[in-house]
Amino acid sequence: MALLEIIELQAQVEEKQILNGINLSIQPGEVHAIMGPNGSGKSTLSNVLAGNESYEQTGGNVLFDGADLSELDAHERARAGLFLAFQYPVEIAGISNMYFLKAAVNAIREHRGEKQLDAMEFLDVIEDKKKLVKIREDLLERAVNSGFSGGEKKRNEIFQMAMLEPKMAILDETDSGLDIDALRIVADGVNALRSPERGFLVITHYQRLLEYIVPDFVHVLVNGRIVKSGGKELALELEEHGYEAFEGAAV
Amino acid sequence: MDINTRREEAAAAFAAKGLPTVKEEAWRFTNVSRLNEETFDAVWQAAEVSFDPLSDLVVVFENGKWSVEASSLDGLPEGVRVRSIMDSADARLGTLADSDSGFVLSNTAQFSDGILIEVDAGVVLEEPIHVVHLADAEGGSFAYRHLIAAAAGANVTVIEEYIGSAGVRYLTNVVTEAFVADGAKVDHYKIQRESAAAYHFQTLESELGGDALFSNHAVTVGGRLGRNDIRGRLLGEESEAICNGLYLLGEDQLFDTHLFMDHAVPKCQSHELYKGILSDQARAVFCGRILVQQDAQETDAIQSNGNLLLSRAAKVNTMPQLEIYADDVKCTHGATIGELDEQALFYLQTRGMDPQQAHGMLTFAFANEVLDEVACSVVKLRIEAMVQAWLAGVNE
Ligand SMILES: Nc1ncnc2c1ncn2[C@@H]1O[C@H](COP(=O)(O)OP(=O)(O)OP(=O)(O)O)[C@@H](O)[C@H]1O
Ligand SMILES: [Mg+2]
Repeated sequence: MALLEIIELQAQVEEKQILNGINLSIQPGEVHAIMGPNGSGKSTLSNVLAGNESYEQTGGNVLFDGADLSELDAHERARAGLFLAFQYPVEIAGISNMYFLKAAVNAIREHRGEKQLDAMEFLDVIEDKKKLVKIREDLLERAVNSGFSGGEKKRNEIFQMAMLEPKMAILDETDSGLDIDALRIVADGVNALRSPERGFLVITHYQRLLEYIVPDFVHVLVNGRIVKSGGKELALELEEHGYEAFEGAAV
Repeated sequence: MDINTRREEAAAAFAAKGLPTVKEEAWRFTNVSRLNEETFDAVWQAAEVSFDPLSDLVVVFENGKWSVEASSLDGLPEGVRVRSIMDSADARLGTLADSDSGFVLSNTAQFSDGILIEVDAGVVLEEPIHVVHLADAEGGSFAYRHLIAAAAGANVTVIEEYIGSAGVRYLTNVVTEAFVADGAKVDHYKIQRESAAAYHFQTLESELGGDALFSNHAVTVGGRLGRNDIRGRLLGEESEAICNGLYLLGEDQLFDTHLFMDHAVPKCQSHELYKGILSDQARAVFCGRILVQQDAQETDAIQSNGNLLLSRAAKVNTMPQLEIYADDVKCTHGATIGELDEQALFYLQTRGMDPQQAHGMLTFAFANEVLDEVACSVVKLRIEAMVQAWLAGVNE
């Protein structure tokens, strides 16, 4: 059974149709990449999958682990193991990253029928995962994403992913804003989390990321439709020729 | 002028003037006329209200009077004197609280007790002084007059806490004057959790010398109708005033904060961070006036007032007012009234928190920004618990 099965998905935001029938099937263990021009609907797809209520699913179906995603609220999707690393992570003043993560981890553990982590156990997990993305200690003490640099926010998203251990992770332009070293570290972190059970959907504009996180499939999204799919070589092709060849095709 | 003459004059002025009316600009949104229709009497009796001391140094007032039995000042070090204001005719009394507000006049005329805290030059008192006011006398009128004087280089923390017995109707009217001499530091906290049927008014006046620090954190959850008038005068260079506050209001509570910061000399800072969370039909008024006089070059003044409305019927009137007569200053102010951010709510939910948890966490986060600034850890814990309890009540 596919981990994530997207069938003819259509969605709109503010009465404007953005997704025009997307089909995509991700098996456990696979990494899929989506590339596409600005405004083609990549973040819209991420938001719809994560359950953002500002986006309305107007057609099609999405099955996650066999369950109809449209019947689950955002928090239920997260608890079921779906994770979205935001293109623009939200700043939340007044709540420390640690406190926030502890609440998140425990909400998800509770759902899985696992016992709540106490302060010490939680710190152990933090220590463990911290190494994975080399996140600075002071970022954990600070308010969630507040005043973080662009790159720090992205790294924090991947840190959260490592803490929450999802079944399926969607990374929306996690590479944009990262410097060359950070890109490598974050990619290593993602690779360390690759497993036969876990799926990834990596949205990016740059082939460079896909040199580090090597995808099994690459899809081209134009005007809310997947207009071409292929192997990792497709990313190189796009890097060279751009999206021009596809722009007409999708309309 | 001796204190008795001053009290007689205040009584005469109050008799002529009465309480403020909505015709006065500063009282436009806060109608206290119901106080004229209700009766309140000074009733001195012990109070059966429990409280948790936040320090080994505790002074307890019960229904308007200092309770010797309930208070404990053991271990007060040399150079610090804590007495009842009734025991000493302090010449400074009334020199700061000189406004002709009806509440100040009536307080000067009628105060029945209060605390006088004097810290000698260079003396640092680590332990905070917890001043507790307990009220449970129905129809009671309690007028307290406090005076804090920190001499040059002295250092003291004072916590004023007001606790009322649930449902009891009474009136608390307080005037506190704080003298902060050169190089001195006074951290002042006010926790107001009066009964939901109570009326509470306080005027807090402070005067800072050079290189001095005065901080005030005012947290309000109680009272049906209340107001804090918090006024500071920066009279010596390089001094700093911090006035932060948090008000959590529900039902038909009305709470008014009037801040006034007077920058008279160069190179001073004043920081004011106020936040409010309102549910039901609650109302808040915030007026923050900052005056930067012509001589007060290089003033650094920041003010912000944020309000979170949890209900459509809740209402806020917020008015920042900057009056700047110097040209080399850094002053910013801002006010917001809003609801929780949808994007932030979604973000929390994508991390597994259900909508109620997400609301609770963001609401707490909103208030927590003010708590971040609280230096005294026992006070911080107390306020955190109050905020959590208040939020739990809202979610019920
Ligand atoms: N909340 C919204 N209100 C109005 N229009 C929106 C909203 N969200 C997205 N859109 C529109 O939907 C279209 C697709 O946006 P989306 O963010 O999905 O693009 P994207 O492929 O992620 O682009 P980028 O590569 O720039 O991140 C755009 O035209 C955008 O303006
Ligand atoms: Mg996008």
